[in-house]
Amino acid sequence: MGSYYSLIFSRLFPKKQITLLMVGLDAAGKTTVLYKLKLGEVVTTIPTIGFNVETVEYKNISFAVWDVGGQSKIRGLWKYYYQHTEGLIFVVDSSDHDRIETAAEELKAMLAEDEMRDAVLLVLANKQDLPKAMPVHELTDRLGLHTLRGRQWFVQATCAVQGSGLYEGLDWLSDQLSRR
Amino acid sequence: MLNCGGTGFLVDNELLDWKPERVAEFLYKEEGLNKTAIGDFLGEREDMHLQILKAFVELHEFSDLNLVQALRQFLWSFRLPGEAQKIDRMMEAFATRYCNCNCNVFQSTDTCYILSFAIIMLNTSLHNPNVKDKTSLERFISMNRGINNGQDLPNELLTNLYNSIRNEPFKIPEDDGNDLTHTFFNPDREGWLLKLGGRVKTWKRRWFILTDNCLYYFEYTTDKEPRGIIPLENLCVREVMFPRKPYCLELYNPNSRGQKIKACKTETDGRVVEGKHQSYTICAASAEERDDWIESIRASITKDPFYDLVSIRKKKVINTVPEK
Repeated sequence: MGSYYSLIFSRLFPKKQITLLMVGLDAAGKTTVLYKLKLGEVVTTIPTIGFNVETVEYKNISFAVWDVGGQSKIRGLWKYYYQHTEGLIFVVDSSDHDRIETAAEELKAMLAEDEMRDAVLLVLANKQDLPKAMPVHELTDRLGLHTLRGRQWFVQATCAVQGSGLYEGLDWLSDQLSRR
Repeated sequence: MLNCGGTGFLVDNELLDWKPERVAEFLYKEEGLNKTAIGDFLGEREDMHLQILKAFVELHEFSDLNLVQALRQFLWSFRLPGEAQKIDRMMEAFATRYCNCNCNVFQSTDTCYILSFAIIMLNTSLHNPNVKDKTSLERFISMNRGINNGQDLPNELLTNLYNSIRNEPFKIPEDDGNDLTHTFFNPDREGWLLKLGGRVKTWKRRWFILTDNCLYYFEYTTDKEPRGIIPLENLCVREVMFPRKPYCLELYNPNSRGQKIKACKTETDGRVVEGKHQSYTICAASAEERDDWIESIRASITKDPFYDLVSIRKKKVINTVPEK
């Protein structure tokens, strides 16, 4: 009986499909994040030539995460995907002191897109296991997150290689998005 | 498997010059390299890798091909990585080469680069099962609005590109390293033979290939994967008589009679399991054919003295174990 009710329930309230974009500089750890989130699930997808896209089921929400990025010339193309985006995951290599300014600019440019107006922002402060990793408060500062107006954001410390922090980040996202 | 360490090894041992043109040529022409590893290598952002990527793209000839044809050819020579930044660099290098080969097609390299990037997005959207929201032709056309130095590209061109990708996704390049085609090229001997089943004693017609001291058998001549593999190491071959099957030969292990021969086979459900034969009985169509096979197999059999030593020891151990 229980399974019958849950079947009816899921028909009445289908899982929410949410598109998330994932950005970050080269080697920030985006691919690792993507595949760590898939861990434990049976991966049966047919391989496709193109961008990394994964669907992750978590807390009754189905996330479709796209690895996006590239030079500013092609940003116009992504806009057609931004339109359906409710969240942005920004992955940053916490140990990369040299490129933190570049990362901040990249993030700023992304958020400036009109289509990203309503997207919530989850920053994954990745590679926290490395000795020179900047702590969360320093990254928050250098990414200029305190200056953001009218944006919901959260910084989560992660070590994607070990998988730590990733689900805490998703918890925050699903909390924010289910309130909408 | 090829990786940075792999090429590093070749360079350190002076087998490969650490020059962009030389490395690119190696990656492009060398057989048996893993195409995923080539893609990862070409996708790196260090200056040397960018130069190798450029040299690699220049080894391709794209003259008189339309953009999708050229992309199909390019994406066959390595496995495109899934990271957006890597795809970005690769499409930029590709576009430069494409425009050099076809100077009148696009007004600028940037137009070609943006369009190529859009085509990869389209392929992802239409063919990756994780993407639920499939790009329509209308959206594809509006995505590419104004990319031709502020002007639009002809709708007809975009429609053709869209249809080409919708009808046929980019093929995943086959890894030479993981694919057995090369193994079965130029075998010592091949032909149809009947094989007696290991458990169920029925005769099955199989296509046999003898190469690299192994005997492979297939269901059809066109199969890429063998049904079974029998390493000939330390086996013996001889003529045997079988009722109603006059031209038989037998593969057996003289030192460990009663034990299974080390071999593997693929079950109908795709699982690879250990072989179940204590000996293999194979039937040829004529005495001459049987003798030819026996001769070729004998020439292929390798003898490893260590193996015999081990099996003699094994026997001793078995014989000295006291009975309960």
